[in-house]
Amino acid sequence: MAPPDSQPLRLRATGCRTALGDARATCAGLLLGRRALELLPVLGSEGGDPVPLAPLPGRNLMETAPPAWLSCLDELAAEIPPAPWGSARHPVFVTSSNFGVGSLYAVQRTGDPRHFATGMPFATVEFIGARLGWGTNVTVVSHACVSAHVGLLLAERGLRAGLADRALVFSFDFISPFVTGGFHALKILNGGMPAPFSARATGSIGLGDGAAFAVLELGQGGYRLSAQATHNEMHHFTGNRPDGAGFATCLAPVAAAAAGRRLWIKGHGTGTLEAGRLESVTLASVFPGAPLVSWKGSLGHTLGSCGLVELAVAIAALDSGRTPGTIAAEPPCFTDTVAIAPFANGGFDGVVLASNAFGGAHAACLLSHD
Amino acid sequence: MIERFIHAVAVEDPGPEEPAQTRDRLRDLFPPGATRRMTQLGLVIGGVLHPLDPRETDAIVYASTHAETRALEAYLASFPNASPMLFQTSIHPSAVQQVLIAWERPVGQFFPLAGRLQIVAHAVQTALLASGSRSILCGGEERKPVLLGQGAGSAITFAFALALTPDPAGALGALALSGGGAPDGRLLLCDFFAAVRDRRPLRQAAAPGLELILSWT
Repeated sequence: MAPPDSQPLRLRATGCRTALGDARATCAGLLLGRRALELLPVLGSEGGDPVPLAPLPGRNLMETAPPAWLSCLDELAAEIPPAPWGSARHPVFVTSSNFGVGSLYAVQRTGDPRHFATGMPFATVEFIGARLGWGTNVTVVSHACVSAHVGLLLAERGLRAGLADRALVFSFDFISPFVTGGFHALKILNGGMPAPFSARATGSIGLGDGAAFAVLELGQGGYRLSAQATHNEMHHFTGNRPDGAGFATCLAPVAAAAAGRRLWIKGHGTGTLEAGRLESVTLASVFPGAPLVSWKGSLGHTLGSCGLVELAVAIAALDSGRTPGTIAAEPPCFTDTVAIAPFANGGFDGVVLASNAFGGAHAACLLSHD
Repeated sequence: MIERFIHAVAVEDPGPEEPAQTRDRLRDLFPPGATRRMTQLGLVIGGVLHPLDPRETDAIVYASTHAETRALEAYLASFPNASPMLFQTSIHPSAVQQVLIAWERPVGQFFPLAGRLQIVAHAVQTALLASGSRSILCGGEERKPVLLGQGAGSAITFAFALALTPDPAGALGALALSGGGAPDGRLLLCDFFAAVRDRRPLRQAAAPGLELILSWT
């Protein structure tokens, strides 16, 4: 058998849930140009300005006890190939930005102590782990909107070190007034629908529910991940270096691994102006001519889960032969590489997946197929 | 067994110190005005990272079970007029970001972990498997807030940082994980901190199949 360092990192299984459904339904909806985002009160049942949100169908932003989104995780977990997850050789990496913080908001508003059971990150993960029958070998990763990428990277390292046979990366973020109120206070969650990578007068994001998983192992065949890379600018809490150097630093190892491939790019593309311009310009420079898409104009930004949700959708797109375009983008775009319409992906042999987060955190990797 | 050697150690153990006192004590570590919006956890994390002088090529692993509970509580109290500043600072891993942004120190690898009973094992594993020549394993908590209660906060404020490299020469100690052993295990962050602070050796099942070994020369 080849040594762990030389074996490809194979994606044995992936899946997701968004406001449009599972990975296949989400991809199909995106290909049809469906926009899950709708204008809803920023604080849910407590009202406030209408802002673009894409919760799971029928889900209210105000948390119940236990959280209503648990049924979504149950459905998703049923797709995970059976294994003794959370045991020594089958580690789990749970990644999120908000975990169950909507429960803390609920306890603060209602005084109902039952919400504490899923309030803090560790409590949320212990609750979910017990519910899904996992052991306690569960690493909890919390790096805002690059959390899922970090989980994928740590899973790879455990596999290559020989510490695991397979690894499960499990990611979720469900919107609540805690997070909608925060982004609204930052004025980037406003009344405008997001139009990723579009050169408009005012930028805006949408927020959505998302959950996803990936089962990783070393071996040949199927979809594989490589060149997982991160970089943290530490320049500003909510801004990037104006020269785009942080994006370029993160993308350099991905570009080296992808040399000679015909690529398309699933970017981060939330709908903010400055980050969108820096991202699209840098991607066009590092990967000349590669079509760039973002799906957050439909699904909203699913926060800490976005990297894994969009990985699962990208695989569904590869399976379907067509890549959804950048829904809601409007010309002029920051670069002519932004793909607004869907396109056939059969002629491509690699996908760059990129995400960004608070603190100028960047993450990227290469998805390819044997 | 995977192992790295300890080449620098820093701890913050401020006891019942209030955030304002911590701010006054550690103010000189940061640029003028930077501490005004920092949390107590951010301040003590800065206190332990400063002597280790983080570099871009380091991998920084940060562990906190409760993180910015005071900012979280204040943010929740700010509704319905949510505070954008408290929103940012309440989000894990704000403490390390407060510090490194103040110092404008980029870092290639930054791995922030939460969790509780196995957080130490997983943070150590992450630090031992990091690429590059030096990894910094740090962690900490701030004393629990008033309102959240119910296990949502730490009883004490503390922080620690260890600089780890593959080089045994001149090392202060070693940190290792061995496989096999117990099917379960646990080690709280505050207990690991106490061992580091007291330079006490540890050998303990810290997660399923992972035994943690902390030794000092």
